[in-house]
Amino acid sequence: MILPAKDYQSLQTLRPAKLHQGFDRLANNLLGRSKRRDSLKQQWLELAKSIHQAAEKHQTLSDQQLQAALNQQRQLFRRRKQDDETLLPDALALLVEAADRTLGMRPFPVQVLGAIMIYHGYIAEMATGEGKSLTACLPAVLFAWSDRPCHIITTNDYLALRDAKQMSVFYRFCRLTTGCVGSDMTNAERQENYQKGVVYTTSKELLADFLRDRLQLGNCAQSDRRLLKKKLKSNKHSETEIVMRGINAVIVDEADSVLIDEAVTPLIISQTQQNKPLSEAITLASQFAQQLKNDLDYRVNKRHREVTLTESGEKTVAELTIDLPGLWQSDSRRNELIVTALTAKELYQKDQQYVIDDDKVVIVDEFTGRMMPQRTWRQGLHQSVEVQEGLELSDPSETQARLSFQRFFRLFHKLGGMSGTVQESAEELWHIYNLPILAVPTNRPCARKQLPNRYHWDKQSKWQTICAEVIACQQNGQPVLIGTRSIADSQLLAEMLREQGISLQLLNAINHHEETEIITSAGQLGKVTIATNMAGRGADIKLGKGVAKLGGLHVIVSERHESQRIDRQLIGRCARQGQPGSYRLYSSLEDDILQRFGNKPLLTILRNKLSANGVENQKMFEKALRLAQQSAEKQAFDQRAMVTKTDDWLTDALSFVRTETLPD
Amino acid sequence: MAQEGRTFSESWHRVADLQVSLRASVVVRKQLFRGKTWYVLQDSFNNQFFRLRPEAHEFIIRLRNDRSIASVWEECLQRNPSGAPGQDDVIQLLAQLYHANLLYCDLPVDSSKLFERHQQRKQRETKAKYLSLMFYRIPLFDPEILLRHCQPLVKLLTSRLAFYLWLALFFFAGKTVIENFELVQSEAKTLLAFDNLVLLYLSMVLVKTLHEFGHTLICKRFGGEVHTIGVMLIFFTPLPYMDATSSWSFRSRRERILVASAGMIYEFFAAGLAALLWASTGPGTLHSLAFNMMFVASVSTLVFNINPLLRYDGYYILSDLLDIPNLQSRSIEQLKHLAHRYLFGDQQSTSNAATRSEAAWLGSYGLLSGVYRVIVYGGIILFIADRFLLLGLLMAVFCIFTWGIRPAIRFISFLYSSPKLQKNRPRAVAVSLLSLTLLLLSLYGAPFPKSFLAPGIVEAKSYQRVVNSSAGQVAEVLMKTGSKVEIGAPLVALNNPELIHEKMSIVAQRAEVAALLQQSMALQGGNTREMLKKRLATLDSKLDKNLQQEQDLLVTAKRSGIWVSPNNHELKGLWLARGTELGKIVSPEQFRFTAVVSQDEAANLFNNKVTGDIAVRLTGQSNSEVQVPKFDMIPFQQERLPSAALGWASGGDIPISAEDEKGLLTVEPFFRIYADLEPSEEVVLNHGHSGLIRFKLESEPLLQQILRKARQFLQKRYQT
Repeated sequence: MILPAKDYQSLQTLRPAKLHQGFDRLANNLLGRSKRRDSLKQQWLELAKSIHQAAEKHQTLSDQQLQAALNQQRQLFRRRKQDDETLLPDALALLVEAADRTLGMRPFPVQVLGAIMIYHGYIAEMATGEGKSLTACLPAVLFAWSDRPCHIITTNDYLALRDAKQMSVFYRFCRLTTGCVGSDMTNAERQENYQKGVVYTTSKELLADFLRDRLQLGNCAQSDRRLLKKKLKSNKHSETEIVMRGINAVIVDEADSVLIDEAVTPLIISQTQQNKPLSEAITLASQFAQQLKNDLDYRVNKRHREVTLTESGEKTVAELTIDLPGLWQSDSRRNELIVTALTAKELYQKDQQYVIDDDKVVIVDEFTGRMMPQRTWRQGLHQSVEVQEGLELSDPSETQARLSFQRFFRLFHKLGGMSGTVQESAEELWHIYNLPILAVPTNRPCARKQLPNRYHWDKQSKWQTICAEVIACQQNGQPVLIGTRSIADSQLLAEMLREQGISLQLLNAINHHEETEIITSAGQLGKVTIATNMAGRGADIKLGKGVAKLGGLHVIVSERHESQRIDRQLIGRCARQGQPGSYRLYSSLEDDILQRFGNKPLLTILRNKLSANGVENQKMFEKALRLAQQSAEKQAFDQRAMVTKTDDWLTDALSFVRTETLPD
Repeated sequence: MAQEGRTFSESWHRVADLQVSLRASVVVRKQLFRGKTWYVLQDSFNNQFFRLRPEAHEFIIRLRNDRSIASVWEECLQRNPSGAPGQDDVIQLLAQLYHANLLYCDLPVDSSKLFERHQQRKQRETKAKYLSLMFYRIPLFDPEILLRHCQPLVKLLTSRLAFYLWLALFFFAGKTVIENFELVQSEAKTLLAFDNLVLLYLSMVLVKTLHEFGHTLICKRFGGEVHTIGVMLIFFTPLPYMDATSSWSFRSRRERILVASAGMIYEFFAAGLAALLWASTGPGTLHSLAFNMMFVASVSTLVFNINPLLRYDGYYILSDLLDIPNLQSRSIEQLKHLAHRYLFGDQQSTSNAATRSEAAWLGSYGLLSGVYRVIVYGGIILFIADRFLLLGLLMAVFCIFTWGIRPAIRFISFLYSSPKLQKNRPRAVAVSLLSLTLLLLSLYGAPFPKSFLAPGIVEAKSYQRVVNSSAGQVAEVLMKTGSKVEIGAPLVALNNPELIHEKMSIVAQRAEVAALLQQSMALQGGNTREMLKKRLATLDSKLDKNLQQEQDLLVTAKRSGIWVSPNNHELKGLWLARGTELGKIVSPEQFRFTAVVSQDEAANLFNNKVTGDIAVRLTGQSNSEVQVPKFDMIPFQQERLPSAALGWASGGDIPISAEDEKGLLTVEPFFRIYADLEPSEEVVLNHGHSGLIRFKLESEPLLQQILRKARQFLQKRYQT
């Protein structure tokens, strides 16, 4: 049976306003600044402290009494009887006590402050290891008490499952159920989990399910239409099955990763469809691509990851394809096919952009280092990569629905989150998502030690120095975590260390099954762990016995990433919650970041000087790295701006397309 | 926004299942441009146009309300695998058609979006209206129904008979004007006089109304529709306009050109009628009005309407002649492309020109019209700011904002954030900064030659006035002006019959007195004889005087030199009283140029060194110069011109006070400069000849020069 109100709610979303432009944008920026003002933080910090104190009093309550009090609060939130502000302190004080009893972790005043911020639609900037997962639980309970869906977004399945399991006791105590949606779940499992009070999932899953639901509904997204259809059609079989309860409140953990980094490409739901002509054309194009010469027939732009044909290249291709039919006789189509094949050949490498799993090309996410089995590259490109690997061609996929994360997260009525590294993106988050940011002070002073950076001429010498450092740590018994950028790099380093007789554990997309064990043991005495970005966000590495005395976990950043934030995330794996820890940054002139985004003249100078004296030019090297990261960040920013622009353009241009199916 | 030409689009799913078609009211016409086929879609309901390439047309005409877009696209792809538009192209095309309101959608459209779009459109229109305040349009009424009722009249006015009539009139009017050419010239001088401005404007309105109706008539003749007639405020001057855009969809190029030139054709007709009227009336309001109309309808047409560099009739004619529609916007596109490709180094930028010659036309037209616009707009701003105090300044500020600051801001934001520049931003910024620096350097750093001109007249340093010492009628002028004369050379011969009569009477009287004297010698003595003798003496002296006067009738040169008498051919037959100045005899070696220098420019002479040559060019002999070895400036201000020829009253450039009838008293005080002239063989120096003296000053950066001019201008305008 359909409950009309519930049914209505399940599809009701906010209608996002257009992004501000020109002077409006300037004015809006000012408003954003005022929302990020310090006085507000102070005010809330006072409130958080008083809540924390009030919670002390609840310690005397029995479990039943506490639950009864919580239930009362739940009723109030359910009915939204009073103004939020007056309701909030009491409820939070009870929740602090409940968390202590159920999880054995009593939220610190700063965590309560974080909860207040999230509840008010802010992003709480909390240093890595300050207990963000617990912080998110408090406002999640408040949101979920309203009986509307509440989602908590984490960066990967592993974290979603971990948090859901860990926190479910607390939620149960607050009379809420907990669900978790991961990428390998069936529809029935998903449906079951989405019905829960608080649902842990990843942004990709949530958006994908949202889109699939809408596709499922077709042009009956409006509840009145659906009700009519239901009444008119007698056969019950046509009942559409949607998995979600709708969207209302969302708490985004690692907000910068989800809202900024991953928002570069929109999410696409696609359906494979046999397309023989295309498959044949791609196979041919790949053959032709092998005959073309770099720099003569085509040019590769590593920075923007694209290939362009030169005039002579176009001529060569035209000559090669002169006897071929139809599709090959149009200049633009022919060049498009060849460029796609060349792009696959030049810019997509095994164990960097993809891995081969079960004879299939599986994309590896650039930011999280994880496999994304459901994703494919755009039409033709994926097949080109398959041809390159000599695999059987999969059917090209056809886009069925497409939605950018930027748009999706603006559909929520309530959006809040937390992150360790978000300050740089404050303006963008405010402009696009209307999300203000406030920094939460740390609970205990940070005891993280930075060892001097090391700079190298080439990769080889860099790897060797890293090996030496690992061996030195090993002798002391200090655990080491080495972060690499690509799977290939992680394997290379593992090989080198194993040759030296060091036993280690390797965490990357290929052996992701052992993730939990690897992470839990990484902090043990004498452990050496090599990991890709998978060990970046959210991985909570607990120190083993006696490790703290040795200086805690030592993190080696083997190469800078495109964004400083990702570096800081990796560094954030050590010295958590006041424990000791150290880290060291390595870089070489051959690093990807400098190759792609480096300032050419500066690099030439460095190359000439570094050979003479490596020490003196460290400042210049660091500057070159910063510039490269900045220009990479700028490019990513431009790409995101392009995504929103394309969004707006499509909405505007195709406003004759019915918009019930998809929120445009 | 979508990438161009990709076969598969990630947004395809949004349109794939739609069932759309063209609106029922859309008419498709085939046109040929530069040998290429195009299809023009026109909706007579909303007067929207759209141009399509044949491949796109192939796709669009297959759209039906019972077929999905995807199936149509697949069919097109099968029919023509190489030429069919890609999915991205299709999306773009559909969006454009929808926004031009040419697309019919089976499903009800999201009405809130519809309103939003309407509002945006309104906003855009309002904004455009205010930004083109200098060309503000006020639509008045829709003449279509009226024109339909007057169909027979339209036919008559555009018939072959009308054309013959036009030819005949053109011929007769041309003949009349040529016959009266001198009169035309003399009347044209007073055309811009202040008291004629009202008449001039009135005739302009009359002629332009006719002009617009000309467009309307021909447009109607070839089956077009005209829906708007209104008033356009060109720099706040109301003039009529009409909207003949429906002619754009005419198939025949000849018809389109005819519509565009119709205004001028009918204007010439008006000019012809006015010429005949003018020739057959005597001085009076009607006469002046006819003259003004004649002038406006012919000259303004030639100067403004036929000029293709601004968007008047000539532009549309050129556009059709070249077979390049939307010449203006496409030439701007072409220029942008050139800048992108060659200045900013964007290899992916593609030209919208199909052929090399088209690209050349577009590029050169864009460049020419751009430069021309800058000059015209700049001139207009200066002119307005000069004539009207506060209003002028406001308008100037407005124009500087819309044509200067706004584009600059847009360019900066384009440089900063345009996704087009994603790959070439550093280079684009560098090139822009470099050109700006070069421009500023050349304005600020590089010295620019500087000179100024001052009007003046040639004067002989020493001269003698030639005056007739006896009155008489001029019988003959014996010497041409400008000829060299020696002492005693006869200049002018006068004729005075009275002198002869007087002489005869004196001679007779003398004879009488002499007879009486003889008689008295015989009769009586002393007293009477003495008296008679005295009388005789008196008469003798009278006779002498008379003889002298008779001699003086031939005016001769009292000194050698050059005989200057500019108007002496008018003297013949004139009665001249004694002492009338007939001319001057000037010494040929010693001429000087007396120049009048305004206060602003005198400052240059005080402050700057005069570096280069100083030279004088005389009116009528401007191809050769007279060098000035040295000059003196009289260091106090004067208000009386050395010659009336320099003032407004006699066609000079210097404003003179209305109070002075002689036309010598100036409005503003000036400095006088005496410049010695070096005699040269090429130039004939004549006393009283007007000319210009040019001072070359020390070179100075252009920016400084401009700033000084502006400062002087403001001081002059708003402090005095």
